[in-house]
Amino acid sequence: MPELKERPKPYLVPDYCKGCGRCVSVCVKGCIAFSDEINPVTGLVPVVLDLEKCTGCGLCIEACPEPYGLRALEQGEDFELQDPAKLFGEKPSAAPKPVEVPAKQIPLPKTEPLVIKGNYASAIGALLVGCRHVYGYPITPSTEGAELMAKLLPKLDGVFLQAVSEVATVNHMYGTGGAGLPTMTFTSSPGFSLMLEGVSYMVGAEVPGVFVNVMRGGPGLGNIAPEQADVKLACHGLGHGYSHCITLMPSTPQEMLDLTMLAFELSFKYRNPVIILADGYLGQMTGKVQLPDHMTEPGIPTWAVYGDLNHRKNLIASIQLLEQDLEKFNLYLHGKYESMQVEARAETFMADDAEILLVACNTPARAAKGAVQNLREQGIKAGLFRPVTIWPFPIEQLKAQLPRTKRIVMVEANASGQIENELRLALSKAGVTAIPPITHVRRCGGLLPQQTEVVDHVLSLAK
Amino acid sequence: MSVFYDKFERHAHGEGLKGQSTHYCAGCGHGLVHKLLSQAIEELGIQDNTVIVSPVGCSVFAYYYFDTGNTQAAHGRAAAVALGHKMANPEATVVSYQGDGDLASIGLAETVAAAQLGAPITVIFINNAIYGMTGGQMAPTTLMGQTTATSPDGRNQFNGQPIKMAELIAQLDGPVYVERVALYSPADRKKAAKAIKKAIQLQKEGRGYSFIEVLAECPTHLKMAPDKAEAWVKENMTKIFPLGVKKDTTVEPWFNRPQPCFKAETFVKAVGASSEAVQKHCKAFPSHLNPADISLKLAGSGGDGAQTAAMLIATAAINEGFDGTHIPAYGPESRGGTSYADVHVAKDEVLNPASPTPDILLAFNAPSLAKFGVTVKKGGCIIYDSSIAKDVKPMDPSITVVGVPFTEIAAGLGKMVVKNIVALGALQAATNLFPKETFMAAVKQALKDKASLIPLNEQAFQAGMDAAQAFLANKKK
Repeated sequence: MPELKERPKPYLVPDYCKGCGRCVSVCVKGCIAFSDEINPVTGLVPVVLDLEKCTGCGLCIEACPEPYGLRALEQGEDFELQDPAKLFGEKPSAAPKPVEVPAKQIPLPKTEPLVIKGNYASAIGALLVGCRHVYGYPITPSTEGAELMAKLLPKLDGVFLQAVSEVATVNHMYGTGGAGLPTMTFTSSPGFSLMLEGVSYMVGAEVPGVFVNVMRGGPGLGNIAPEQADVKLACHGLGHGYSHCITLMPSTPQEMLDLTMLAFELSFKYRNPVIILADGYLGQMTGKVQLPDHMTEPGIPTWAVYGDLNHRKNLIASIQLLEQDLEKFNLYLHGKYESMQVEARAETFMADDAEILLVACNTPARAAKGAVQNLREQGIKAGLFRPVTIWPFPIEQLKAQLPRTKRIVMVEANASGQIENELRLALSKAGVTAIPPITHVRRCGGLLPQQTEVVDHVLSLAK
Repeated sequence: MSVFYDKFERHAHGEGLKGQSTHYCAGCGHGLVHKLLSQAIEELGIQDNTVIVSPVGCSVFAYYYFDTGNTQAAHGRAAAVALGHKMANPEATVVSYQGDGDLASIGLAETVAAAQLGAPITVIFINNAIYGMTGGQMAPTTLMGQTTATSPDGRNQFNGQPIKMAELIAQLDGPVYVERVALYSPADRKKAAKAIKKAIQLQKEGRGYSFIEVLAECPTHLKMAPDKAEAWVKENMTKIFPLGVKKDTTVEPWFNRPQPCFKAETFVKAVGASSEAVQKHCKAFPSHLNPADISLKLAGSGGDGAQTAAMLIATAAINEGFDGTHIPAYGPESRGGTSYADVHVAKDEVLNPASPTPDILLAFNAPSLAKFGVTVKKGGCIIYDSSIAKDVKPMDPSITVVGVPFTEIAAGLGKMVVKNIVALGALQAATNLFPKETFMAAVKQALKDKASLIPLNEQAFQAGMDAAQAFLANKKK
């Protein structure tokens, strides 16, 4: 006759009982009772067990809300109830230490240049670095990016998901970026405003992702024509808290591709979102775009929450509940932002001997470039300084220009001089006091500064 | 119980008792649901592949406890984040664990959208009819008459009525399984355990989205002893939120996504890049039009094909090894029925792609001709549709003005859509910007998937050329 197996009876470390009593009501034998004795360690009042009549039905264990509250005492197990330390010492998760899954470089054949829109170029740039997960909500003038992704990603077994809103978009990105994969979106100013909560969370949880904001006129609904009025948002308003992102400002379709590729690289290098500020004109502009000689199959970084054994240990979160922890984290973030300074980039055009330095980004930089050539033809030593990163501002590159610069002329498409503000802030932070006079050519509301306006302004300065 | 960490290192650094006890109040339903979830994950053998998304609310710290992949989401966005994880790794089991404020108030759009999408994730919804973490305020599921910190006189009609999420989700097409369960009795706990396990099983099999609403107790904010809270849920909540299966459909497994493709060949084909060099026909840059940078404006009404023609010019320029740009109509000028394109063709690099004072204007209608005719540079060229623009005002004598009946020619060919190709033919003959072969190469590239249309386009281009040449010959006489 087989030996009857005795059902396990409950045991309880009183320190882990909060005394809710959900177990008391389910015990038909009345083995568990409320007590009035305060536990000196917890200050709570645990239940007391008298297991003489216990049949090991287990209902009390099922009723206990605490993972380490009432537990089954298996046959043969022997617990020293008076010594919790013996039970609950350092027992880390059995999950392994994550190992990096490396990225692969895949050579591409040499191809003829593509003739494509800026928005398309950016999308192709993302595909080149291995982005196969794109989320978005249609908004003019960025929509072509999402449309091309919706067309191409199925052919590459990737995912384009049209989200229910920009808020959902950024949170899809938070999930996919948190899983360690490259992800991006195309949006335009009002949509970007909606994403900012998520950007702050991504910064806080150190999740990479690329945002292409094809800027349009604001505030509010504004219009769908180009403006450069989100510079302050990208540089100083990325959601709540201490958040900054490298922000790139392309000026040609080729650069839409190149800088999108760079954006992903930087985003993963620093585990931080990267913003691309384009303008409506550039998004729609068609030009020559050359593909690089390779593309990338992304790996999976060690910190990712991919949903496999290798990454089981990991957590993506932006909470630092203890003040000391958050202070430590924010100081670490500060250090990270400081280290991003080396990524500051600028391009110059005929600036080597320039006395009048035009400063412009995006499409206005092209009007300025035309103006430089026009002014040179008239014997005026004009040059262009074009910040490629607006955050961090390329202050070292600008400082190198200053000894020859007699005047700075800001050319930008917003009413308040948002790029000028970045320049002035950077000069101030760098302790530059000998600042040449700064004047400006500004258009806004969807109108861009024109080459002739820039030329006329510079000529008026010479008078 | 191996799915729980042996020690809760993330709970106040695992110090003291916190290393082994939850942050939940005595008698809280969350701990029970955590145990049921842990049990289901263990029984299904999916611990290594599971990602749990914690919300904002009392269960914000769910990641303290589960020895799985963990992500903590912004308030209301857990389902959207869960989808991001599921898309990244379709093999992963992704659980979105949310409370009533998170799921049914601030995150309603994400909740409904994820459910309707139907991608296999599991949503566990803890409904305890009150906000816990912020301190007992009204939840979207607070019962009528229930007193909370923000409904101090009891929830009334002005606060709206409690939202029945399980019923709402069940009437959507996306979900495969929706059930509401409770925790107040051993039998209900068993049903809850079964429901949670089934919901995850359905995800594991790739069958679809499932939603489990759990009526849970919040003794602290109900201001009741745990046993009273259990009784309150049973007697009051279940009247408004009846328990049971709300939807259970049999769906064959469908969510099996392939791994993303990184084959060079597939990529190059997808983006339409070609390794085949386009034959060059230009002997030199057309510097007779401008030494280094020719600016053009193409203007017409929507449907004239001005944008396509502009694209073809930019493509032709780039094929010849020059730089080319095209900007479609943008800004206030585009209002009033006029659609225009700025095009540049540069020897080396287009500095400024705008064409406020073009070298060449291609006008498809009278308003465009009137508007932009005056902006054309001295010595420039205007080509216009003479079938539409009849009374042409005299222009600067240095400007060559060529009228070609684009519309009539296209109509004669039986296809109005080739009007812009007629115009390009006229442009070629009037300016000699590029040889005919250059334009036609660009046209053929654009029509590579519609090769049958090439002869018609060739005919249209030639007709435009012939008409422009005839016009110019006539003018000389």
